[in-house]
Amino acid sequence: MQALLQNPAVQAGLVPFVVALIVAELLQRVRLSGLALVLGFAAMVYLTHVFALGVLTAPRKIVVLGLAAPLFAILPAVFQGAWVRALLTALGAAAAVWMSLRILENQALARMLLWGAGGAAYTAWLVYWSSKLHNESVRAGAAGMALGVGTGVAAIFGASLTLGMFGAALGAAAGAYLLIHMLSNTYLPCGHVYTLPLALIAGLTGTLAAMSTELPWYALLPLAAIPPVALLIPIAGRPALWLQSLLLSAATLLFAGAAVFLTWRVAGAPPI
Amino acid sequence: MLKRNVLFLLLAALPFAAHAGDTYTVDPLHTFAHFKISHLGFSTLHGRFDKTSGKITLDPKAKTGSMEITMETNSISTGYGKRDSDLESPDFFNAAEFPTMTYKATKFHFKGDKVASVDGELTLLGVTRPVKLTVTDMHCGINPMHKKYECGADAVAEVKRSEFGMKTYLPAIGDEVKLEFDIEAYKD
Repeated sequence: MQALLQNPAVQAGLVPFVVALIVAELLQRVRLSGLALVLGFAAMVYLTHVFALGVLTAPRKIVVLGLAAPLFAILPAVFQGAWVRALLTALGAAAAVWMSLRILENQALARMLLWGAGGAAYTAWLVYWSSKLHNESVRAGAAGMALGVGTGVAAIFGASLTLGMFGAALGAAAGAYLLIHMLSNTYLPCGHVYTLPLALIAGLTGTLAAMSTELPWYALLPLAAIPPVALLIPIAGRPALWLQSLLLSAATLLFAGAAVFLTWRVAGAPPI
Repeated sequence: MLKRNVLFLLLAALPFAAHAGDTYTVDPLHTFAHFKISHLGFSTLHGRFDKTSGKITLDPKAKTGSMEITMETNSISTGYGKRDSDLESPDFFNAAEFPTMTYKATKFHFKGDKVASVDGELTLLGVTRPVKLTVTDMHCGINPMHKKYECGADAVAEVKRSEFGMKTYLPAIGDEVKLEFDIEAYKD
């Protein structure tokens, strides 16, 4: 059993999937199924011991921010108005700068500004567009799966298992959330408790992978397209949820595949 | 009165100057930090850091010394570029965040006039832990190529990477890491 739980595929795939499946189902009545994503991610963190007391490295900052994100999701539940989305977007940008601060400090001024602005813009973009999915659970599920899988596999190709597992855990948890839609043909509650951790963890993981592995910055562009594509792609006639899920997943996974392909072209196969 | 005070201060400083020892600058072309680690229990993987710098002070008569060696974590070399990228990533040395690791020591143990071991601290991934270096060989003299006085030494140490927060692929890839330092340093 111990050996099984030390397998990265189990830690970042199977366990987050099962945890998210259970949480999404159990919390449906209290309209908090969206927490399935962050709790699936938390299960991966627990099993991999990524988070430990000590130096707050960039990956640990991603864990802290990701796990704290549902608390900030209270803001749009309490306050109304466009300023709340703008505030969350700005907080996403600030989170990216804080996460990568030590890396930025080690760079020359021009690169420091470029990397800092790039990471902030990427994370802020994901937060902004993902927040528009908070009432669209099937679209949010498909976007989460594609963003997680794309970020995770690209990070593994870029040469970081840790960051790869961050993305994979998101993808697995979002996949479980989407699977319930497909099997039950009912919409689950989504909300900012789902979209904010998704955007923050995926945005920060992608940013860190671009700064510290062989993942090229332009591989983030197809990943950035995933939330707007999931939101804007038209589906005529309101078909059954399993079909909506399949169509949206196919469309968004294309962009995830593009990110992996761009990374593979630069970095090649992961080291074994 | 002022002259007497200055003279007193100069005289008082003399013993410290006499015990300060000679200062040496690390020769980066002949100083490497090697490491070896178990690879999945099948074989031993060797690697090294290609870029080093530092200063050493040595006083064999007073049997004192100090050293500070810095190794650039993004200069890691295992003979396979893709694996080197992996080792530089946040999974292992996290070179983007922690571009250097440093060994600092202020306590040298002598056997005769040669250094036998060194008590110091290794800072890696922002974590500082005590690490004892055992000196297996040491030689000082005039370098026949450059005609400069220099000292060289080989030293070994062992650390547990998990103690520095480097836990990726544990326990498949070993926790114990054997370090070997080949150091040459010119007298300033």
